Amino acid sequence: MRQPTSALPTDARWEDLARGAAIGSDRTEDAELLHELLAFEVGDTPYAVPIERVREILRMRPITPVPRVPEVVRGVISIRGEVVEVIDLRRRFRLPPVEPDRRTRIIVIHGFDGQVTGCMVDRVRQVLRVREDQIGPAAEADAETVLGLCQRGDEFVSMLDLDKVLEIEP
Amino acid sequence: MAARRSRGRGRTKAQREFVSEAEELLERMQSSLVDLEDQGASGQEVDPDLVNGLFRAAHSLKGLAGMFGHDAISSLAHHLEDVLDALRLGRATLGDEMVAVLRESVAEFGELLQGLGDADAEQAAEDKVGALVTRIEAACQGETPAEQGFDSLALDPALLRALTEYEEHRLRENLRRGRAILLVEATFEILSFDEGLAELGRAVREIGELISTLPSPGEAPESQIRFALLVASDVDADVLRGRLEFPRATVRRVSAAQASAAAPGPDPSERASTVALPGSAERSAVASSEPQRAGAAPDHAPVAGEGGEIESLRSISETVRVDIRKLDDLMNLVGELVIQRSAVESVARRLIADPGTARMGAELGKIFHSLDRKLREFQAGVLEVRMVPLRQVFEKLSRVARRLRRDLGKEVRLELNGADTELDKLIVEQLVDPLMHMVRNAFDHAIEDPEERAAAGKDLEGCIRLDAYQRGNHVVIEVIDDGRGIDPDQVRARARELGLISTDQQITDREAYDLLFSAGFSTRTEVTSTSGRGVGMDVVKANLTTFGGIVDLDSTIGRGTTITMTLPTTLAIIQALIVGAGKQSYAIPLTSVLETLVVEPHEIQRSDGRELLNLRGDALPLRRLAEEFRIEARPADSTREFVVVLGLGGSRLGLVVDRLLGQKDAVIKPIQGPVTDVPGIAGATELGDQNAVLVLDVTTFIEDVHRRREAA
Repeated sequence: MRQPTSALPTDARWEDLARGAAIGSDRTEDAELLHELLAFEVGDTPYAVPIERVREILRMRPITPVPRVPEVVRGVISIRGEVVEVIDLRRRFRLPPVEPDRRTRIIVIHGFDGQVTGCMVDRVRQVLRVREDQIGPAAEADAETVLGLCQRGDEFVSMLDLDKVLEIEP
Repeated sequence: MAARRSRGRGRTKAQREFVSEAEELLERMQSSLVDLEDQGASGQEVDPDLVNGLFRAAHSLKGLAGMFGHDAISSLAHHLEDVLDALRLGRATLGDEMVAVLRESVAEFGELLQGLGDADAEQAAEDKVGALVTRIEAACQGETPAEQGFDSLALDPALLRALTEYEEHRLRENLRRGRAILLVEATFEILSFDEGLAELGRAVREIGELISTLPSPGEAPESQIRFALLVASDVDADVLRGRLEFPRATVRRVSAAQASAAAPGPDPSERASTVALPGSAERSAVASSEPQRAGAAPDHAPVAGEGGEIESLRSISETVRVDIRKLDDLMNLVGELVIQRSAVESVARRLIADPGTARMGAELGKIFHSLDRKLREFQAGVLEVRMVPLRQVFEKLSRVARRLRRDLGKEVRLELNGADTELDKLIVEQLVDPLMHMVRNAFDHAIEDPEERAAAGKDLEGCIRLDAYQRGNHVVIEVIDDGRGIDPDQVRARARELGLISTDQQITDREAYDLLFSAGFSTRTEVTSTSGRGVGMDVVKANLTTFGGIVDLDSTIGRGTTITMTLPTTLAIIQALIVGAGKQSYAIPLTSVLETLVVEPHEIQRSDGRELLNLRGDALPLRRLAEEFRIEARPADSTREFVVVLGLGGSRLGLVVDRLLGQKDAVIKPIQGPVTDVPGIAGATELGDQNAVLVLDVTTFIEDVHRRREAA
């Protein structure tokens, strides 16, 4: 089932690595070759996002609803004075609603322009370390928001294309 | 010199501020330029950082002068920036003419600063700037080196293509200096390549310049990765190999072998380099004794004047220039303190409420009050620093008016009142374009030709007046002209033509004037260079709306037009009225709240399905917040309703809410996330309980009422 894709990053990526190494910065670590992913669940499906995109993980807290926005926007929260939108990934993936419980988390994701967005998930699992060649293509049906699948034991974790997930249709 | 000094004293505050900022930049440019000349004259390699520094200074000066409307300075700085950019990227070389032009341009900046506010001096300066600009362009053009390939290098073209423009420039520069270009290649284990590569990089840098590190196109075993380091050095390949002590690395020379290969050290002979560019250092070194090759450089500006005048600028200012971002940081800090203060207050209240801790609560309450007082002073102080007078903008407008008078040949007087009115710097910046647009519009469209004015029995000279003044928590700016006025019938006809209203739709004069702010609306059919056509007032309105301002227009045919802008004085911290609707709380900027009313349900009347309140004889349109936001309202209290009367400009609206929860200081924060621009929401704030509270955008509510009334 494993379908190896190109084991090596693109040329441009190597160039970055090389430059980083040449100036002795610590930007380049094994992590560049091994993807570190934060795995979490929405519904019963395991998903993962690159750990670099995650700023912090918050416990569920009161969310202020915002009028006149699409339903997937659950509302806004204040994180130390910063006001951040929270996207409900259940609603984003058109799953039936459940009441938030003690395992519900808000993953704060780095987006464009230094902005952050909160993503509400059912539960956070662990950090996965995955080699590039362990990632296979996404199933046709999920291709819109899933970048690829990686096998862990007997299940497949979907790597989310965050930029697509955060594209909210009005 | 004495005369100049006295002129300096006559400067306005804004001019003094400008001079103080400009002189700092000038000083920086001066000292960089001196170093640059020294390096050039001694035949040293020119430090790229010096050129970069000069480039940045010219860029800042351009922006600064542009903002204050000093076009001559701005234009000269703009051209200087171009030439420095070319120099920086090696597209031009630092020859004598280039040095001369740079020096004279910097001197000219000094002259221009001295002459500010003196019309004769400014006129004279403009001509000089024109001449300098021509020379800058010539220096730039004439010295642009021919597109140099690296054909002579024994390098994979793919590797060369990967170089950045700056790296290419460094490669050329090193070639020109006659240095050996070496390619160091090494293979590393994939898992630990970064350490090995960093080590190799360090070793290389001790011996030469590391121009670029690139993945090598060469073959490597699967678990390994190969890198190529492009190095410029005074030593040849075998020497470098010997010194690197890196057994896995191969070193090979890619530039043609030169005489210099045997002799470490810079080779002064030009023939050594196969791709020699027109040398700057070499020429500078000889130029002092030889006539210049270009022969076009005119005599330098009188040297006696330069240094002395710039010296005299030094003492003019007593201000400290502060980066606006630092003020923003300070403001954010104040905002966080304000939030903390609310938290302290709520703890004190809780303690007081419990008999067991009431005494401690009271003590905390006292501390809170003194903290509160100090914090308010602090907050006011920081806000005060951000406030700048409108004068800068007004001066820019005067300049524009002068030019328009010349270009359009119309006799128009521009009167400016209230230049000392202060606004937040960010708002002032956003006002420049809208105000310019309105003044241009008035010049171009509103003020009639002299014949027409004579026929109408008007003063031949037209008048455009800007009045700025503070009203409560707002600043009002009126742009008043005594031109032909705007005929509402003409507006209606044009609106029907454009399909903005239906043919049988009747609208009031006021509504017709509001249409002037619709996108794409213009009553003029011809295009003029002064104000263009079709774009304009809608953009003005959009600009103002972004920071909570509102614009109104009133006109009398044959008498003139008045445009009134109502603006908040600051954006940073607002006093907010907290209201409740359903389970939610919302903050309303207090500057937009005229009053709050408690009314009995029977006082609310209905007309056309809309609720109205008779407020001291005027009909006040009402909106229910819960309905607007489609949230579940609390079960109606049959005995009373809370109405918040909102006012902006000349418009009013009553917002019916479930509860009034008091007044708080609020720091409006933008909402981060994928969904932007929520209608009716200006941002959000936190009031000390960790919960976000939405801040209402009063402008949208009021406009909405207008629009619906028009549609009705």
